[in-house]
Amino acid sequence: MKIVDLTNQSGEWLAAQGPKSEIVISSRVRLARNIASYPFMSKATRTQRSELHRMCRDHLLGMHSDRPVFYVDLDKTDEIDRQLLVERHLVSKQHAAGEGSRGVAISNDEAVAVMVNEEDHLRLQVLRSGLQMREAWSEADQLDDKLQDRLEMAFSERFGFLTACPTNLGTGLRVSVMLHLPALKLTGEIEKVFRAAKDMHLAVRGLYGEGTEAIGDFYQISNQTTLGRSEDEILAEFNDVIIPRIIMAEVAARGVLENERPLALDDKIGRAIGILKYARMLTSEEALFCLSHLRLGVVMKRVTGLDLPTINHLFLQTQPAHLQRLIGKPLDGEARKAARAQYVRDKIGRNNL
Amino acid sequence: MHSCERCHKTATVHMTEVSNGKKVEVHLCDRCAQEAGYVQQSHVPINELLNQFLKAHAQVSDTQTLRCADCGMTWQEFKDTGLLGCAKDYELFLNQLQGVIERAQQGADHHTGKTPGKPSAQPDDAVKLRKAEITRLKKELARAVEGESYELAAKLRDQLRALETT
Repeated sequence: MKIVDLTNQSGEWLAAQGPKSEIVISSRVRLARNIASYPFMSKATRTQRSELHRMCRDHLLGMHSDRPVFYVDLDKTDEIDRQLLVERHLVSKQHAAGEGSRGVAISNDEAVAVMVNEEDHLRLQVLRSGLQMREAWSEADQLDDKLQDRLEMAFSERFGFLTACPTNLGTGLRVSVMLHLPALKLTGEIEKVFRAAKDMHLAVRGLYGEGTEAIGDFYQISNQTTLGRSEDEILAEFNDVIIPRIIMAEVAARGVLENERPLALDDKIGRAIGILKYARMLTSEEALFCLSHLRLGVVMKRVTGLDLPTINHLFLQTQPAHLQRLIGKPLDGEARKAARAQYVRDKIGRNNL
Repeated sequence: MHSCERCHKTATVHMTEVSNGKKVEVHLCDRCAQEAGYVQQSHVPINELLNQFLKAHAQVSDTQTLRCADCGMTWQEFKDTGLLGCAKDYELFLNQLQGVIERAQQGADHHTGKTPGKPSAQPDDAVKLRKAEITRLKKELARAVEGESYELAAKLRDQLRALETT
């Protein structure tokens, strides 16, 4: 399987089939590991990086895994394809933009992605649709065990798994969910959620993680501490306490909109449809915002004629790299705005909304 | 040279009291002065003051010249980049890192999760015991400090350090 094949599918996590997928887009578990007896990335020589890369790639491909896996050598991949992987949440922006020997192992269904030579030697990632934190952790845990059977990881009794940055020390575990919170934004309560998250030591980020803004009412919420608690404790607090509260708040806000301000709600949705149907130029941010409101409309059943998987597909295809692959050639900013608007008009125009 | 009024050893505490316009000089040794109830400021003998000062100074220059033999990392480099160079750095820069780690991890300072070779099972008994011991020592240390038993506190602190740095 190759990168280009990915564009024909939507990736498991976008299938909108998981629990609570009206609000939770996806759940993600990430583990950071470094191979013992090698320096961390910032001090590894070119030769060492190549060695690490080859070693990790061979083990990842050679592991007996339930999911078939293919490998992408990022150093030999062109910019649009690298961007494509970022848009599909398979690599971080940092990894795509990085330099030197590095890559990523991806399962054919995109549920698993292991970055090699990013900030740490290995970054294991498991994605699931909707709220499926424990399933994602279980798979990540097993993958980690399999890797540890083959490779010795840098570890100390006191500090646990050793990472390049002390913010990942200990468990090396980052759990996060991608939430769609348009109602909390519309009722003006989203600020309260941010403050509460900060008090609970959670990081709130945009669609593409570290250093990105929250566009289109999508928020990535993750734990900030990785040391001093066991993996189960981190998971339990996140999955059983924190996220349900935020979900409840969004559900309540949607209820408020529906019961007390249905006109304002439909107005927002209607305008979004209007722009999507008739605009001649569309930036990716604008597309995201409109699709976000359209998604709300579909979920709250105020819009018919369109289903969630189609909307998720649209989210992806309007992203810059996906769009260019769709059209079949590189496009500059202005050309992309036009192509995007055209694509959306065609897709939405076909449906009676 | 005065002798202690009570025990005739060398007097080191000299007080001048003025009462009813009369000046009275009192000379006592350290111990008798305490026993007599004269409030002693907890003072640090000069030589210990000097020692502490020199140690602190040495730490600063140590921090600046310390360099990892394996990867070449220096503390300054870590401050600039936020990234460490290799596993050994966690030992070499332990003193300086402790504060950084506690701040980044909301006060946590040791790992309680999964260990290699033991698939998500509980860490083994030896590890559990050590962790329980560390917790106990910490409680005792806090109590000793509260009760101003500084000698005891110092002993406990050294025991703790020995346990934590294995």
